[in-house]
Amino acid sequence: MAAPPGLPPPEELLKRADEMLRELEKGPWPSHVSELRKTRYPLHVYGVGLVARKSPWGPGTVRVKYVNTGVLSRWARDWVPNGGEETHFRVFHTPGKFWKTDFIRQIAKISKELGVGLIEIVGQTGAFVINLTKDKAEEMVDALREIGTDVGGSGDAIRALNACVGPALCEFALFDTLRWYAEFYKDKRINDAIATPGFPYKFKIKISGCPMDCARANRADVGFIGVWEGAPEVDQELLRKKIEAGEVDPKELAARCPSGAISWDGKELRIDGEKCKKSMECIRRAFPAIKPGKKIKIAVVVGGGVKGRFGPKLGNFIGYLGPNDTQKAIDLVFKAIEPWNNEAMPKCRLGDYIMIAGIENFLKKADIKLEGMPEMAKTGDEVPYAVLSKEEREEYLNLVKELKGRA
Amino acid sequence: MTSDPKAARLQKVFPVDLDKFLPDIIKRNYGKWVDRKFHGAGIIEHISETGERVFTVKVAMPPNARLSADTLEKFADIADRLGIGALRATMAGNLEFLTDSLEKALKIKEEVESMGFPVGGWGPAMWGINSCTAFLTCTTSVVDSPSITKALGDVLKPYFTGEEKLPAKLRIYVSGCPAMCAGGTAIDIAIVGQWGAPPIIREEALSYCLPPPKALEKIAESQVFLVQICPTGALSLRREGGRVKLTLIPEKCINCARCKENCDAFDYDPENVGVAILVGGKMSNTGRGPRLGRVLIPWLPAIPPRYEEIVAVVKRVIDVWREHAQPGERLAEFIDRIGWQRFVGLVGLEKVHAVYQRIPDHVRTFMYFRQRYEAWRRLREGI
Repeated sequence: MAAPPGLPPPEELLKRADEMLRELEKGPWPSHVSELRKTRYPLHVYGVGLVARKSPWGPGTVRVKYVNTGVLSRWARDWVPNGGEETHFRVFHTPGKFWKTDFIRQIAKISKELGVGLIEIVGQTGAFVINLTKDKAEEMVDALREIGTDVGGSGDAIRALNACVGPALCEFALFDTLRWYAEFYKDKRINDAIATPGFPYKFKIKISGCPMDCARANRADVGFIGVWEGAPEVDQELLRKKIEAGEVDPKELAARCPSGAISWDGKELRIDGEKCKKSMECIRRAFPAIKPGKKIKIAVVVGGGVKGRFGPKLGNFIGYLGPNDTQKAIDLVFKAIEPWNNEAMPKCRLGDYIMIAGIENFLKKADIKLEGMPEMAKTGDEVPYAVLSKEEREEYLNLVKELKGRA
Repeated sequence: MTSDPKAARLQKVFPVDLDKFLPDIIKRNYGKWVDRKFHGAGIIEHISETGERVFTVKVAMPPNARLSADTLEKFADIADRLGIGALRATMAGNLEFLTDSLEKALKIKEEVESMGFPVGGWGPAMWGINSCTAFLTCTTSVVDSPSITKALGDVLKPYFTGEEKLPAKLRIYVSGCPAMCAGGTAIDIAIVGQWGAPPIIREEALSYCLPPPKALEKIAESQVFLVQICPTGALSLRREGGRVKLTLIPEKCINCARCKENCDAFDYDPENVGVAILVGGKMSNTGRGPRLGRVLIPWLPAIPPRYEEIVAVVKRVIDVWREHAQPGERLAEFIDRIGWQRFVGLVGLEKVHAVYQRIPDHVRTFMYFRQRYEAWRRLREGI
């Protein structure tokens, strides 16, 4: 990127960059600049970018033997006085993102000795990031592997997985998200697809323990979200106590239910399981008097994502797995990947491919069949022409034959 | 196969050993949590059926969750002295301190606050602001989201700490470009960097993004990567004698930035750049379910370091929501109830609601695919 027009001469530029950085250290919210000052990160480059109102970084390269994803490198643009470089690793987070203090000290030590002393504790993929200098890259990979984690997840590969904290520290967790997280990583195919890029675009897998979706599974290429069948369980005795204590207002519970599934007759609260849309509104207000139902299912959503050919998308719901179906879930991921990997244009996310192919074609090509799979689109097509196979036309003929018989 | 011992790196070392990475008290109570209690802003108590309790203190991190190793070590000291010897990072970019009594939780709160890190979130409050990396490392961002986050955080801190009340949960994502790496638009308020005007092609840098000349001769123009990545067909490659020329039709461009993400030859003038502000998205299935945010304002200037224009709009949206929403009503549900037109009117922006109606005809194919996506069931309708 070229220098923006009207950029002041180098000395003036650095002076204004410094003023800008000082301003960002004021105020009550924690300052990233104050933290960066405690590290060997080239802060003047950032400051110059702010003055120029243009990113000061250009693409660089760094080669780390047999590490093909998770390594990113930048050079300061030629209009940044005194130049600078920035290299970072994306590092897999621990299950539930728990950091025991001995692990934190190991990370801090590696960061100080082999890096620049700067860490991004969590990114939106769910990984964390350590800054380093190029000459220490080989050593840092080994040091990270030594303490039980690794570098990976960038480019057109499977990215770092993300799971919510699940049963480790949440009452609402409907299944063991961290065990799923571990089982996925242990699969050789997942490992290989993380280690070596080769897909049309990135691919993300996220696992959420309940419909509140703290792991953001609904915007993953394949997401798994814990739900239950029917109505939530109501402990009428406990609920009555909570109502008497003024902790819960049953009328509010009924009013707040977005699907109108709750009725309150002054004595008992009833929930219609047919209507319940698992919004968690009653559960989070009256827990543990109202709890999720006992029959757990894992809703599968495919084709979500933020970045892609056709913009941001939420996932398509395609049916259920059981809470222990980790192997089926991993197989499903690779079934979904196959037609996309074979047919999609470069830089199309799974969701973009599904838009082009149509979801029913996609599911057929991927050979995905799940319990509870929606049988039809929610509305009819507005375009009155289509290519239909002979079999499909015959199906309609048979349908009409039945209707004729009824008349 | 290779004999290089470094080839072992192709088998990743994944941190999956729950026994090794989970703190003892968490292991003892895994799957046994039965109740939760809130103790003011930023402190939550989890109660196990074993009788054990874990108190979590939610602490705001600097923009883009950037910490120095020094600060991280100081946090580890606090976690050893007053906690259970563990911290937890959250997707919101906050850091949670874990301990086993309310007394210790309050002490942790006091200590981290004295270090300049506010404690808050949970319940009807701001739960944090997510920011992408932008000018800290990114080559494609057009505005600097960490400094926007800092400017917003300075003004919105009372909503995080609970000093000022909100109707319900509020989260904000700040992304430096249309790639939206801060988490997308499925959130209450999303701020997204915008090009403002179609990109300027730097001819001299183009060859880095094209196949080598000999290979290029054999590829059809429409099959060239740079042409393919444009979703609206605004980019085309033309051959003039032995030379190739990449042409951009500005009327077809929707500023999605995909060309820029894939090639460094697309440039811009900072004067054109700004941010879009989207509202009313969410990921949780609460209320009326997950949805993407909608554009409230398609362009505002982003002027560091204080970004007064952006801060003013965010403040206004929050004020309207605070004044008119029912208790417990998230921004998405509030807008749904009163209607988009009325909401836009309350914010005071009647004139800018129709940006999508001005989408050029050329983009109809793009919109067609987007509409097609609406025909299938989402989580809320499916389950």
